[in-house]
Amino acid sequence: MKVDNGFGPIDIAISGLKAQGKQMNVISSNIANARTSDAGNGEPYRRLQAEFETDGELGGVKLDKIVTDMSDFLRVLDPGNPMADESGYVAVPNVSLPVEMINMNIATRMYQANVAVLRRYQQIIETTLELLR
Amino acid sequence: MINVNTNVTGPLNSMRPVAGTDFLETPKIGGSDGNKSGFADAIKAAEDYISNIDDLQQSSDMSIKDLLSGKNEDITSVISAVAKADMSFKLLVGVRNKLIEAYKQTMNMQL
Repeated sequence: MKVDNGFGPIDIAISGLKAQGKQMNVISSNIANARTSDAGNGEPYRRLQAEFETDGELGGVKLDKIVTDMSDFLRVLDPGNPMADESGYVAVPNVSLPVEMINMNIATRMYQANVAVLRRYQQIIETTLELLR
Repeated sequence: MINVNTNVTGPLNSMRPVAGTDFLETPKIGGSDGNKSGFADAIKAAEDYISNIDDLQQSSDMSIKDLLSGKNEDITSVISAVAKADMSFKLLVGVRNKLIEAYKQTMNMQL
């Protein structure tokens, strides 16, 4: 990729914004489904996780794929539930709300960092243009 | 994503740090055959740049319209288009002010 592109940093920062937006999508899906007992396939919802990859050398970031967290489901004692097994436990999604909250904080800060890059780049271009005055 | 990077950054390219013989490649106003360039050539170069900036402004306008009409829901691409149009327009205004200033100074010269 060419380095001497005046708009390069803008595109890269925007790709970061988009990536963190998608991360937010995944996190909100996880939180919304934190107690979904049926994800359509007979088992509880499995936590999703966004994987990112670089978009070419000296490029931005893009969403690689959304993977499923295959760790064990949590088990909650609820003998009255018709979905309970013989010992009275119900499987609930492997979503941990504190983890999702921390991930959301990270995504928010990353988004802000990308916005900061964008703003700072605009500032330095303006500083350069001041030389014309 | 708009893809107008290749031709609009000509003047921006000349703002990069000069390294080695790189500065020899920066486009010279008035042609590369060593002819001395005049004020009219500078105006012509600015005219070319204006049409490039107009393209950027148009695409920024279009992306805002698409966002407001619900055709496009990605606000980040709007931000990108607006930032690019804004940056190029500021460069144009800077160059234009400089040209006008040079013209005025020349016209006010005591003969």
